[in-house]
Amino acid sequence: MMRRTIFLLMGLGAATAAGQDGGQLYTMHCAACHGDDGRGATGGAFPPLMNSPWVNTDPALAIKVILHGLEGPVEVLGTTYNLAMPPQGASLVDHEIAAILSYVRSSWGNTGDVVTTELVKAVRARTEDRKQPWTAGELLKEHPLPVTESALRNLTFQAFFGEFPDLPDFSKLTAQNIETENRGLISGSHGLREQNFAVLWLAEFMAPADGEYVFKLDSDDMSRVLINGTEVVEVAGMGPMGRAQEGNITLAKGPQPIRIEFVQGAGEFGIALAWKGPDGGPWQWLSEQTGGGVNPWPNIPILANDDAPVIYRNFIGGTTPRAIGVGFPGGVNLAWSADHHAPELIWRGLFMDGGRHWTDRGVGPEPPAGDDVVKSSNAPAFAKRAESSARWPDKLELDVRFRGYKLGGPAEVLFSLEAGGMKVLDSYSATADRALLRTIKTDGTATDPVAMLITRGTPVSPAGGGTYQLDGGVRITVQPSNALRLLQDGSLVLALEPRSSTQIRYSWP
Amino acid sequence: MIIGSTFKTLAILAALATAGHAADQAEFYLREEIPLPPGEVMEIGSIALMPDRKVAVTTRRGDLWICEGAYEDDLSQVRWKKFAGGLHEPLGMFWKDGALWLTQRPEVSRLKDSNNDGTADSFETISAGWGINGDYHEYAFGSDPDANGDIWVVLCLTGSFTADSDWRGWCVRVTPDGTMIPTCSGIRSPGGIGFNAAGDVFYTDNQGPWNGSSSLKWLKPGSFQGNPTGNKFHQKAGLPAPPEVADKSRTETERAKFPAYIPPAVVFPHARVGQSPTGITPDMSGGKFGPWDGQLYVGEQTHSEVQRVFLEQVNGIYQGAVFKFLGGFEAGLIPVRLDQQEGVLFAGGSNRGWGSRGSKPFTFERVRWTGKTPFEIIAMSATRDGFILSFAEPVAAATAGDPGSYAMDAWTYILQSDYGSPEVDQAKPRITAAQVAPDGKSVRLTIDGLVKGHVHHLRADGVRAAGGGSLWHPEAWYTLNEIPD
Repeated sequence: MMRRTIFLLMGLGAATAAGQDGGQLYTMHCAACHGDDGRGATGGAFPPLMNSPWVNTDPALAIKVILHGLEGPVEVLGTTYNLAMPPQGASLVDHEIAAILSYVRSSWGNTGDVVTTELVKAVRARTEDRKQPWTAGELLKEHPLPVTESALRNLTFQAFFGEFPDLPDFSKLTAQNIETENRGLISGSHGLREQNFAVLWLAEFMAPADGEYVFKLDSDDMSRVLINGTEVVEVAGMGPMGRAQEGNITLAKGPQPIRIEFVQGAGEFGIALAWKGPDGGPWQWLSEQTGGGVNPWPNIPILANDDAPVIYRNFIGGTTPRAIGVGFPGGVNLAWSADHHAPELIWRGLFMDGGRHWTDRGVGPEPPAGDDVVKSSNAPAFAKRAESSARWPDKLELDVRFRGYKLGGPAEVLFSLEAGGMKVLDSYSATADRALLRTIKTDGTATDPVAMLITRGTPVSPAGGGTYQLDGGVRITVQPSNALRLLQDGSLVLALEPRSSTQIRYSWP
Repeated sequence: MIIGSTFKTLAILAALATAGHAADQAEFYLREEIPLPPGEVMEIGSIALMPDRKVAVTTRRGDLWICEGAYEDDLSQVRWKKFAGGLHEPLGMFWKDGALWLTQRPEVSRLKDSNNDGTADSFETISAGWGINGDYHEYAFGSDPDANGDIWVVLCLTGSFTADSDWRGWCVRVTPDGTMIPTCSGIRSPGGIGFNAAGDVFYTDNQGPWNGSSSLKWLKPGSFQGNPTGNKFHQKAGLPAPPEVADKSRTETERAKFPAYIPPAVVFPHARVGQSPTGITPDMSGGKFGPWDGQLYVGEQTHSEVQRVFLEQVNGIYQGAVFKFLGGFEAGLIPVRLDQQEGVLFAGGSNRGWGSRGSKPFTFERVRWTGKTPFEIIAMSATRDGFILSFAEPVAAATAGDPGSYAMDAWTYILQSDYGSPEVDQAKPRITAAQVAPDGKSVRLTIDGLVKGHVHHLRADGVRAAGGGSLWHPEAWYTLNEIPD
């Protein structure tokens, strides 16, 4: 009995020295995000440390992350996180960092060895000039993570040149070239050109066990995956990365014929493909491009109600930070800049996607989700009367104050401002034939007219009778028909009189 | 094997300790989750009290919902109505004159339902006088109206290290007619703003560059709060230049050079007391929430807690103590709001982007006092040679009168451009006497070696109530900016 107590106490002492101290520090400083169980807090909303290659590799990598922090997208076990880890090097001392890392590397099935205070001290000295948090790319350059073997065997690659509006019938095409991809990873950059081509990859997918498999596919532009002749997942239509789709298939253990089809139109391109087996676990990549190139956020479409417009007021890409997005029923949309006091973006179709701003910290501007986005202007919309001016001024010439907006009636939005001593009501509604109707009304509190910018920066050509054709497909019709004037720099300008009403219709062919 | 079983024993003991604490809390304070509208993501960023016992909340996604039934015993009957959508990350809201006033990321706004259909139709911009450039970090937290009707807005820096848009790193006041008055400089990354019982304005600022630890700071008009990143903007308004404090110094040293530098009123020692303090609400309920009238409650995002703060003014400077108070909330807390009439504390939050001990992605909760008062240190007040502790019930003189029942250590932080600071300049003030008042409800501690400017960490583990009970929370952290004469 006595002997047993002594052993217990010795055990306790050993635990305190080697493990518990690090564990307590981990709980205090790290667990809120990475989780007490190392799986990442809130069901994995934060990067896991359990089984993470970032933790189990050269400890200098994790020491650097702790010392200086990490910002921007980072892929861990197949999932991309876009967060910010604050630097801890100024608040934690070397032996604390060593204790935390030793704990992390020996917990939850991790296999790293003990991290010494001396190592932390050495890494700190080596990186003392580092003042900003690291990016994942910077760290991986110096500390590449071990590569896991691809599940694709006998992978071949065939490229086809041409403009393909849809995924083609490859059997009717002649390949420009055929290559073997020995690493077993697909890559769009082997297409020998950047635009207008298609690729067909054929291989065997080495299924490790019988059961249900999930495949995740993302591409710019379209792609699909077939296994045993059955379509598993497709990314349809032209569009950027960030449209990842998942599909399931039941497979028997062993080699299964897999077929991956891809089409690139214009602009950027890319393809990323990953799978998970019946045992779950992290995503395993079959492409050179991995989660780092895939938007880490889900699609969250923001839709208008049947009878009322929807507003979106986070950062909208293509206009200024204080933009107010309005999506009308029927898919007519605008982003009204409260910095420039103008509808700077006009588009049709889908309104906005909230996925970027509503995931993690919501970094960066989100462009409109729909089609035919026209940037109608790009400067402050009010100036002194520009009778003699050939160019629209870049800077604000008048004191303009945005007073807010009203939702009027079932489908009308009214922006209210004061410009040049005049009250201006700039209101919008959608018509039944999917045009955007804009009415600009002023009151009589001022006597002098001011100039108001209607378009700038996008080429516009007069089509007669108060109609103007804007590049990008939008047609502008104004009433009264002589209200607009085209400046020499291509800006379309309205002479805004007191006590006036001007109507502008934005329509698509 | 033996080590393994020891670990198991420790784990069980730790679990018991936690469970014990939770059981304690339920004895004094009833924390309940308020059911949210099904299917909605309600990452709550502000809470406002409305007439007819309605409670309004805003979400980080930009929705504004109104809840009925949040005061009822049976919370399963709460009803929600969406009042507005498409707002830009509001972090501050109150009800005044028939409208909801919001501080959104780009502006102060007033929302009205002019046709009485239960949803907002007028979104009036009161002031958009500060800059935003599209960086997610440029948050704006707004207060309730002060005695003049002004809203105080604290403007987070662009990132941790830069002020790239107008008035980043400043506190501005917005008058009801929309005039914006730059008021204080030196701000880093606020988590909330509110008043104390006297009507002075405080905000919480998070550990990082020029903040060795998180703290509660007093927004004295004209003051500098310690972080010089946003100093340049004084030129835009013809204001005096804020202090250019020296790097790798101490707050105590720099504020002696620059009288405009107001030190943190109460430091919340990093990791010990929390990691991200947030919303502030005063207790002016006259005892409806326990014997803490006049104190502040401060939310804590990372630890999912509410701390309690005692404030006092010494030589014209605010200082005081932070005590652990309520815990176990379901997500990281952002806004907290005490209904002063009903004595109900509302708390909401989210852990999107910043992790928390509470493991749900978002939460809305209320806390009610059971009427049973825990044995606690109510207040810790500085004297010329120590502190006076007041207690919620009479103490056992044999314990509370024994200096051995207490322990104290003290430290400060490096004032530096690096992110955070270790605890430095450790001191060991010696408690030489503990004198119990005749009514047994306060104790005067005589202390040798107080250090001006340091956080003084008190442990009173040995103190027992006259009835034998030990303290619910035996610790306090007092920031001794000034030592009374």
